[in-house]
Amino acid sequence: MVRPIRNVVIVGGGTAGWLTAGVIAARHRSRIPGNFSVTLVESPNTPIIGVGEGTWPTLRTTLARIGVSETDFFRECDAAFKQGARFARWTTGAPDDAYYHPLMYPQSFHQINLVPHWLVRNTGQSFCDAVTPQGRICDDGLAPKTITTAEFDGLANYAYHLDGGKFSVFLRKHCCTKLGVRHVLADVRRVNLTEDGDIKSLDTEQAGEIEGDLFIDCTGFKALLIGETLGVGFKECHDVLFCDTALAVHMPYETESDPVATHTISTAQSAGWIWDIGLPTRRGVGYVFSSNHISLEDAERELRAYLGPRGKDLPLRKIDIRAGHRETFWKRNCVAVGLAAGFLEPLEASAIVLIEMSAKLIAEQMPACREVMDIIAARFNATTHYRWGRIIDFLKLHYVLSKREDTAFWRDNRDPATIPERLQNLLLLWRYQSPWYHDEFDRIEEVFPAASYQYVLYGMGFRTEVDPEAIAGEARLAERAMRDNVTHTERLRSVLPRHRDLIRKIVEQGLQPV
Amino acid sequence: MPKYEPLNPDDHGSLRLRPRSGPDPHFVQIVPSEFVAAAASSPILFTKHPETGNFYAGALFNFKPDEPALKSASERGGFEPLALQREGFFTMNEGIVIDREHPRFSDSEGEPLFDDARAPSVQLRRIQRVLGQLHVGLSETDAFIRALLELKLIEPIDISLSFDDGEKLTLQGLYTVSMDSLHALDDADVMRLFRKGYLQLAYIMAQSLRQIAILAELRNKRLASTI
Repeated sequence: MVRPIRNVVIVGGGTAGWLTAGVIAARHRSRIPGNFSVTLVESPNTPIIGVGEGTWPTLRTTLARIGVSETDFFRECDAAFKQGARFARWTTGAPDDAYYHPLMYPQSFHQINLVPHWLVRNTGQSFCDAVTPQGRICDDGLAPKTITTAEFDGLANYAYHLDGGKFSVFLRKHCCTKLGVRHVLADVRRVNLTEDGDIKSLDTEQAGEIEGDLFIDCTGFKALLIGETLGVGFKECHDVLFCDTALAVHMPYETESDPVATHTISTAQSAGWIWDIGLPTRRGVGYVFSSNHISLEDAERELRAYLGPRGKDLPLRKIDIRAGHRETFWKRNCVAVGLAAGFLEPLEASAIVLIEMSAKLIAEQMPACREVMDIIAARFNATTHYRWGRIIDFLKLHYVLSKREDTAFWRDNRDPATIPERLQNLLLLWRYQSPWYHDEFDRIEEVFPAASYQYVLYGMGFRTEVDPEAIAGEARLAERAMRDNVTHTERLRSVLPRHRDLIRKIVEQGLQPV
Repeated sequence: MPKYEPLNPDDHGSLRLRPRSGPDPHFVQIVPSEFVAAAASSPILFTKHPETGNFYAGALFNFKPDEPALKSASERGGFEPLALQREGFFTMNEGIVIDREHPRFSDSEGEPLFDDARAPSVQLRRIQRVLGQLHVGLSETDAFIRALLELKLIEPIDISLSFDDGEKLTLQGLYTVSMDSLHALDDADVMRLFRKGYLQLAYIMAQSLRQIAILAELRNKRLASTI
């Protein structure tokens, strides 16, 4: 007898739980409540951790699909626009050492790879400024759109900075009132298995037994289902990414009209880096470091120095980072999403984008019945493994390209023994040809596009050998693209409003849905 | 610099009002009570207020902001939008405010605003009616637009035109009612729109789009005659 998959049970109500619930319920809306249900079980006692978080532009599509309004999202999640990241002191450590990893693709990216042309010209202009307006927009503190731009549309590509705690509450409200997600506030006391080892049901303290066909583990670091119950191991990657501790702090603005940065600021320190994420209400700042390379006291001293006198007495929260991921993400009828699946330092804001990608994959490939679930699970595992691998490579790339010699942390990061083989091969390849669109990074499973690799590589001074004759044929196309970029930059700088002004306007007046 | 003054017979007893002069702008805000008259000569479209992002409806009189209306008021069958008729006059709370610097106002020329008994003249009473209609009309527009947005019936419209002088114009930031979405509505929503009179307004807007081609043709003729 075929056992259809009709009841999805998500355990855990953080960003991972509610985002997954929203994506699945929106995708299967037409059969809710008839023959499909999404239930989210959340402990009434687990506090929600609210840190300022960075996202990827994928979140715009995800939110639009779930059916929320961008205006409401800004009003309720303390959201701000994020147009990329600025990496300071990563390459040489000098005070003026900085580059952008913007979210817009290089001009005419789908027609031409501008990297070799930029390298040959060698005018001293940064790669970012030569190919996209976005670095300038960030320098000027401008928003990526105007009040007349429709919700989720942009004149420049963008993602968001948001308050994770408020985001969960916002999603919960939408899931429960609009998408028909059943919300159960209860503590899970016991996980019951079937004879063949599937999860059968949850015994809860307050709501009795909850049965399900597919269980999604969003219980965070605890990994109640995938780890504690099904015994799936955890694969650490501290041998590649050394940071294992973070000190986080909320930094108030001096006045309500202080500019809000429209990019994440990541400033390298002696044994890690400091994130600085501007929400309209406050900045979220934190030092991610390797405890093997610096003491907690010294780390705190560096963080306080970054914050300046106004941060002298602000309370710090210590977060332990266990970098790595599950050995398997989908086992039997249980799939892990969010921190239960794994965690990496937030250098490229990969946490929420991975949740979105996993939720989308589950929603779209939702197994029709238990009989085919293992096939879907194998696919999901292959894709998700690939993604974690690429994120680890991409994060490591930032460290590998650094030329800093000042501390063991930076020197150790370039030890070939700590660099994954795939990345080593790519670095060799890139010495002779730059990554581009028709490259290995156009796979559908890809997290970071080839453009991201370009921005980081050439932002950090990496050099690819170029044969001028090989690119002479497209020199005019390149020239036109770079000229278009100048025009585009000027136009955007003249029409875009100040970031904080637009946020205020969105909160007060709202954006139109079209 | 505009100079706003609350209108009253003490300060403005001898002030006179001249007819509007100068060319009509290329896009003028209109309200639902004007839709039928406007559609006979001009496309009716939505656009967004640049400061607030809110939609409003307007009649398109030309394709370029720096060019005057292609048709005169008489070529428009006498249609003169309320927003133009009231030029120089504003409502504030319950009273009327004037821009004393507006060229319509004169001490010597035109019709008086107040009669000998310090009562509003025929002219001013006409303006008062215009302001009243506009006031009611603007909230009607807002309600109409709200209803359309709730049903996801507003969609952007791309208007690309090629003129005989070789110029290609692409009009951006204009919106209309989506006929596809309108026709996909369920009966209850259609009935609601019908009862409120919005269905008719939607069809007037959709039909007025044929005026775009007529205006473009007119502009081409003007270009030909000026060469």
